[in-house]
Amino acid sequence: MTGHLLPGTTLRQRTADAVANDRLRTNVARAVDRFATHRVEGLGELDDADGLRRAARAAKQQVLADLPALLERFADNVLARGGYVCWAPNAEDARRYIVDVVARDGATRVAKSKSMATEEIDLNPALEAAGAEVTETDLGEWIIQLAGETPSHIIAPALHRDRHQIKDLFVDTVAAPLDLGTEPTELVSFARRRLREVFLAAEVGITGANIAVAETGSIVLVTNEGNGRLVTALPRVHIAVLGMERLAADWAQADLLLALLARSATGQRLSSYTNVVTGTRGEGEVDGPDELHVVILDNGRSELLAGEYHEMLGCIRCGACLNVCPVYRQTGGHAYGWVYPGPMGAVLTPLLAADQPEAAEVAGASTLCGACMDACPVQIPLQDLLLSLRRRKAEHAGRTERAAWKAWSTAWSDPRRYRATTKAATWTRWATSLAGRLPVGRNWAHGRTLPRPAGERFRDRWKAGL
Amino acid sequence: MREQGAGLGDREHGDRAGFLAPARARLAGDIFTNPVHVPPPMPAPGEPVPLPGYRNLDPDDLVATFAAAVAHAEGTCHVVDREVPDDLLDRLVAELNGRPVVTSAEDVARAVGARLAERGATVAEATTERAAAAGLGVTGAAAAIAATGTVVLDSRAAGGRTASLLPAVHLCVVAVNTLVPTPADVLRRISSRSDALPPSLVFVTGPSRTGDIEQLLTLGAHGPTALHVVVVTDAGRASSTVAPA
Repeated sequence: MTGHLLPGTTLRQRTADAVANDRLRTNVARAVDRFATHRVEGLGELDDADGLRRAARAAKQQVLADLPALLERFADNVLARGGYVCWAPNAEDARRYIVDVVARDGATRVAKSKSMATEEIDLNPALEAAGAEVTETDLGEWIIQLAGETPSHIIAPALHRDRHQIKDLFVDTVAAPLDLGTEPTELVSFARRRLREVFLAAEVGITGANIAVAETGSIVLVTNEGNGRLVTALPRVHIAVLGMERLAADWAQADLLLALLARSATGQRLSSYTNVVTGTRGEGEVDGPDELHVVILDNGRSELLAGEYHEMLGCIRCGACLNVCPVYRQTGGHAYGWVYPGPMGAVLTPLLAADQPEAAEVAGASTLCGACMDACPVQIPLQDLLLSLRRRKAEHAGRTERAAWKAWSTAWSDPRRYRATTKAATWTRWATSLAGRLPVGRNWAHGRTLPRPAGERFRDRWKAGL
Repeated sequence: MREQGAGLGDREHGDRAGFLAPARARLAGDIFTNPVHVPPPMPAPGEPVPLPGYRNLDPDDLVATFAAAVAHAEGTCHVVDREVPDDLLDRLVAELNGRPVVTSAEDVARAVGARLAERGATVAEATTERAAAAGLGVTGAAAAIAATGTVVLDSRAAGGRTASLLPAVHLCVVAVNTLVPTPADVLRRISSRSDALPPSLVFVTGPSRTGDIEQLLTLGAHGPTALHVVVVTDAGRASSTVAPA
């Protein structure tokens, strides 16, 4: 099992709830517009950004084709630098290893930097069940942790909330003073003081990994706030959770990906802190972890290699596809129901959470307009993958639906039969208003308006000289 | 588990070969090629990865490019001839409000620390506790990158990570001969020797920031609220300061 779809809800309900929430839609639209504008400015400063995106797509294909050897090289280098390596085929293996490391250390205070992989494996509840106090230290992640929510955006987890909602949350959950201001500087300063205590007290720091570089066994952590640096500087133990596809073979590939990553995400030339972690604390260093554990996670990824959906493994988690998606803009991230929203989530959810009955539905949360591929820094053909996932789902459609499509296909593949059906349609104008009320058609007609056939066919009017 | 050198095997958990077997099996067959948006040809082994080109880079004036890029990232860049200017040090001491100063273990940082101590500041080399209480942290840099306005901090040279991270203000002194045009000039020169990299190599581009509240830029999330970068040119170049717009 991987993560969790929001229990007891359907995609249709979640979408309807989101679309009815004007405040949510205002917050989401404001955020994605800012991101999308900055992205265009940032990429515009690179020579031939599209050429670089093409090169990044090629580089990722090269990595995926050679993934087992690169993973071995990476792991050997981590071990050579004194780190631990855990091979975790699934979420349960990863959780068990991490809980063991924390327990063996006798640690009770865990500080986390932002990591989508740990969201995916539902790590926090497992650590909490084992008695650890887990605090998310990325401001957005902390906000949603306090609210008991999942991220609504992969790089800005709390973008669905505005400053007033955040202030109220701080007052309600962490005893912020009632007179705390709602200016972002005041809210950030309050969070800084609180989270500074968490960093200083934490015994274990947990991060994800933006890129893992095989040639040196390094992990690249990209943050703006500095949480990625603090979590890897102060606690005695650092655990990094790495999706197995997040490799670069060498620093030349990493350079190319880093040139695109921050610009595609926030428009920055580089994020404030691009932290390259290689091994544990060195001799003569006053800080840094004594232990480094790298958990390499499969969790459904290897099944995608080489197949129809393998390009999805090139995703560098920048969030650009969310920011340009007309569906995400209307619904925000929670409507998608799992941890990854937007177009990348609509592809990943059916693939990685395939054991959940509702997961296949999520591929429908797209207009197939292709804005996502145009924005993707590694040119993942997201709309093709979404279309293919829909095709796959249709193959498992109910007997009635399949029979209906089959009948339609038979009728319209022959001119004589086609003409007969259009003639018949003119006789059934009166019936169209019924279609949405019949038990068979109700689901299909929800949210759609069946066009009313004309009383006379164009073909007949043409013959009669218009 | 694979054979490892003495003691290394103890640090590897899970079944490496078993973990990699499904991936190897999938890759043994044909790799799917998207027929609609056909991917570019796979680079040949050894084919160089294209170099990003940076339009804001003036290759004839790296210092000016760097200063503008630091300011673009909300830092302040001071270009000086020989040493950190007195008036900047006076100002930084005045802003301390009695809080101490920490320095990294680099000579260049210690020298600035001594001049701050002459001005009445309490100065010591960084430990976590001292850095957490400090109002100012002083470090050198292993390199600086013009196109992005980045300073590169090496934990081995600096003796740690926190002097540049925990204090409210970070002062970073850059020698002009370490200034390179692009990130590739640092990243692509990293050797694959196993001890080539320090435990932490951080590319710092501007002060700590967050956009998590309404995507509005707010400085000083967890790290320094302000970053001062001083470029020492040793070239008789006129001093100047470039601050964020």
